[in-house]
Amino acid sequence: MTTSGDPGRRRRGSSVVAFLKWLEATPVASGIRNSLFVFPLLESAHVIGLALVLGTIVVIDLRLLGVASRERSFTRMASDILKWTWAAFLLTAATGVLMFMTNAVVYSNNTAFRVKVVLLVLAGLNTLAFELTAARTVQRWDRAPSAPPIAKAVATLSLVLWIAVIFAGRIIGFTTTRAADPAPADINFEDLLGPSAK
Amino acid sequence: MKHFAEWLSTTQPSVFIQQHNGWAIPTIQSIHIVGIAIVMGSVLLIDLRILGWAGMDQSLRQTTRRFGPWLTGSLWLLLATGILMVVGEPVRELVTFSFWLKMALVAIGALVAGIFQSQVRRHEQLWESTLVHRSSIKGLAVLTFLVWACIIVLGRLIAYDHVWGSWSPAARL
Repeated sequence: MTTSGDPGRRRRGSSVVAFLKWLEATPVASGIRNSLFVFPLLESAHVIGLALVLGTIVVIDLRLLGVASRERSFTRMASDILKWTWAAFLLTAATGVLMFMTNAVVYSNNTAFRVKVVLLVLAGLNTLAFELTAARTVQRWDRAPSAPPIAKAVATLSLVLWIAVIFAGRIIGFTTTRAADPAPADINFEDLLGPSAK
Repeated sequence: MKHFAEWLSTTQPSVFIQQHNGWAIPTIQSIHIVGIAIVMGSVLLIDLRILGWAGMDQSLRQTTRRFGPWLTGSLWLLLATGILMVVGEPVRELVTFSFWLKMALVAIGALVAGIFQSQVRRHEQLWESTLVHRSSIKGLAVLTFLVWACIIVLGRLIAYDHVWGSWSPAARL
């Protein structure tokens, strides 16, 4: 991160690291690390959230592609479903941030984590592209069995990106070790969990 | 169970998955998560229709016809990828309290989903006109959703079975 000889760049790099270390030192982060239950429950809430995000997005994407729900109004479906998608996304993002805080330096240096962040940004831009194009003419195809080509391209890309987000997220668990504050003396985590508590 | 798990880990398919651990396990797990997503999306939208909070432009029968097959199909996908995970890491999966409690809840969830779909199919009029408006059915919809959410939690807890303390068979090894 700070390999460049440019001193300005080095300063920026070290201030990011300082911020990440500050995140790790917050009472919230150390509280999560100190608990046996909280991190696994955050992971569980993260999976529930992302399952609802992907599960509802798939329904919308399949409607755009003309694979399923062909007879329904797109705007009606979107207004019914997307508020739940956003609620689930907030749950997923909040639990994700909390997990990140417990081990911020390690995660931010992890390739799979970085790839996941890029994929999330691309998924956001993809949604923006839909809003700027096909969504503007929606009254023309709202009841048509499938959407215009640009919307189909967005829907396909959306499915690919979100599934890639999940894969990258799963890889993070395999390529990082969880930060843990010292465990109680009577519990030996290595014996309990084996080498791979993913 | 521990002996069975240890035997399973010496079989050819298990050894194959273990040898390709770097990509095999995360790939299977990711497909499993995609299956979970389709189940949760389908259960959510059927339940929201029962509650009257979404999809009210569709009848209950139209809603179950849309999401029922995806729900059932995803459960088969989850069974297949779940079996692969057990074969790949038998001791990690089978010698846990979380796994067996999860299986019990999966049996309940799948049974409720199956009975519900066949009942709506067979007694379409009764469901549309009366049953879907009953608060007991609405309560059951919420309960079913919570069962699937608990199944997700238990699935994650397989990796943290020590949270169960002495209930975890791993604690006695």
